Amino acid sequence: MALSNNNSKRATLGLGAIAVAGLVSTPLLAQDAHQLIRDNCVGCHTESGTTAAPSFSRISEQRKSPEGWLMTINRMTHLRGLELTSEDKRALVKVLADRQGLAPEETEGYRYLLEQNTNIIESGINQGLTETCGRCHSEARFALQRRSEDEWKYLVNFHMGQFPSTEFHSMSRDRPWYQIAFNETAVELGQRFPLHSKEWSNWQAAARNDLMGRWRVTGFVPGKGEFAGWMSAAKTAEGRYDVTLTGRYADGAALAGEGKATLYTGYEWRAGLTIDGVKMRQVMAANEQGTALDGRMFLAAEREIGGDMRAVRDQGKTELVAIQPAYLRAGESTELTLIGQNLAGDIDLGDGVVVEKVLSRNADRITLQARAEGAEGVRMARVGTSKQLSALTVYNTLARVEVLPTDAVTRIGGAGGNMPKVRAAYRAVGYSVGADGKPGTEDDLRLGYMPASWSIKPADEVAAHEKDDRYAGSIDASGIFTPGDAGLNPERKRSANNVGRLKVVASVADGDARVEGEGNMLVSVQDFVRRVLD
Amino acid sequence: MKHLKSMNKKAQLINKAVSSEEVEDVVAMQVVVGCTATTDPGWELDPFGGLGSLCQPMESDLYGCADACWWPAQVPDTMHTYQEWGEGVAKADKDWRKLDGIFEDAE
Repeated sequence: MALSNNNSKRATLGLGAIAVAGLVSTPLLAQDAHQLIRDNCVGCHTESGTTAAPSFSRISEQRKSPEGWLMTINRMTHLRGLELTSEDKRALVKVLADRQGLAPEETEGYRYLLEQNTNIIESGINQGLTETCGRCHSEARFALQRRSEDEWKYLVNFHMGQFPSTEFHSMSRDRPWYQIAFNETAVELGQRFPLHSKEWSNWQAAARNDLMGRWRVTGFVPGKGEFAGWMSAAKTAEGRYDVTLTGRYADGAALAGEGKATLYTGYEWRAGLTIDGVKMRQVMAANEQGTALDGRMFLAAEREIGGDMRAVRDQGKTELVAIQPAYLRAGESTELTLIGQNLAGDIDLGDGVVVEKVLSRNADRITLQARAEGAEGVRMARVGTSKQLSALTVYNTLARVEVLPTDAVTRIGGAGGNMPKVRAAYRAVGYSVGADGKPGTEDDLRLGYMPASWSIKPADEVAAHEKDDRYAGSIDASGIFTPGDAGLNPERKRSANNVGRLKVVASVADGDARVEGEGNMLVSVQDFVRRVLD
Repeated sequence: MKHLKSMNKKAQLINKAVSSEEVEDVVAMQVVVGCTATTDPGWELDPFGGLGSLCQPMESDLYGCADACWWPAQVPDTMHTYQEWGEGVAKADKDWRKLDGIFEDAE
């Protein structure tokens, strides 16, 4: 049970579909962009300013991610009766995200939501915002928006009108909720996430990079493993690309796919590809130089199932992109694969790490057997003249295992109902003790993702009593957890659903010993409202 | 309260809670993205971070909360936004398979 598209009826199209369109053949000039807004939005919104520099009520007072603008247009369609062609919808998202998007710095710390990597507990901006907004939404949902103070106030009023019982919920009815939200929260949001910012001004003035070219890619697909390959982007229009991806997984299995990509706001890469028959989506951000893309690739139909992805542009120079695995145990011969491009020259794996034997070598991949001696620590590896060094960690003993995600929610589904199961994909990260000799402290040395055997157990005595481990789901050998069936379960007390609280246990081998780590799993009821961003 | 003995699990949990405000604060900071921190009642978690005080199975009183727009980011609110959600599924405990989701991504 690795990749599946069992709910293809509802395959999430979203920005992937928008990317697939590729309908805009030339960059929209400012007047064309304005006209597109006039044609679709001024039935309700009013225009002011000059013809050359118009301002559209509400619209011009906000900036958002491409997904944020898509949600806005979706809401206008559903609640306000907006009718527009799919071509205009795609073009509007592009125009609005390009002209009223977020600067790269403004998305920092919140990219997990754009990447749909949502099995986390947010750290919390502050108690007031958590209680007022984070009670229903992720904090990233509002932190990835910029509005004038008035616009934040309008948003409070929208919630008051659309969801009037908001005032009666916990953390609302014990206080004058509306007054606080309107007079305090909206003001704070306007200060923290303002319409005008230096970051956005600078980004608007910055030169735009074209991402056409060849990219060396590495990543991880749950159930398949780590992969390395090449991605080619051929420009079809301004900000639109045809994309091909070829490569292989760590076990040698081939990987191949193709699709379309759109570049929003000059750096937000959104692609929809079909890889070996499975629809996948990429959400990545280009760096300032346009030489690297970082983000996540996930199943289009199941955004929870995905993994990190990185792409490094081929600039004709020697470049070491990754080492798989990026750790080796001192004193043991270990097989390592060096992933890169134009890999010419001597291999240097850092102090005390000896290349015992090169097993295979070509311009973009070197497989070798290495042995490390000396103290624990991070070595910097290089091949030939590569400027970018790649970290290789030498360790003596695996001290602890971290299970990622540490906290996750999955949801019951299937069983003939309309809601698919929401699964979760796990990985185990190994650590050695670090300089202080104690595990679980800040100086623990992160070794990297390690192969693990997976199991579940009840989270506590209550969960054991309810037999949550029997009913709530199971985990497979690759670390993918599948929750139980939806519906009432007559075997459970009061015919309870197959919900439960579990510990997900990873067991990692370290020589003859095994080291275990645990993560928290909540198997919950359905999320019937599947927004583009939670 | 000291003369009353808690008879079931939910009552025992309530007795253990120091105060409702403290409980709410804890849960509000502990939910995974996508879950609601509204816990009176909760959808994914109860005020104690567990499942013991949830309405279970959820189908038994689904509309009691959906109609009141209690978790509009998780369950379609039939007050304003999705008034037709649940139509034809009068008895959710029997016909839960007919309940549809709001899949915003799908155009």
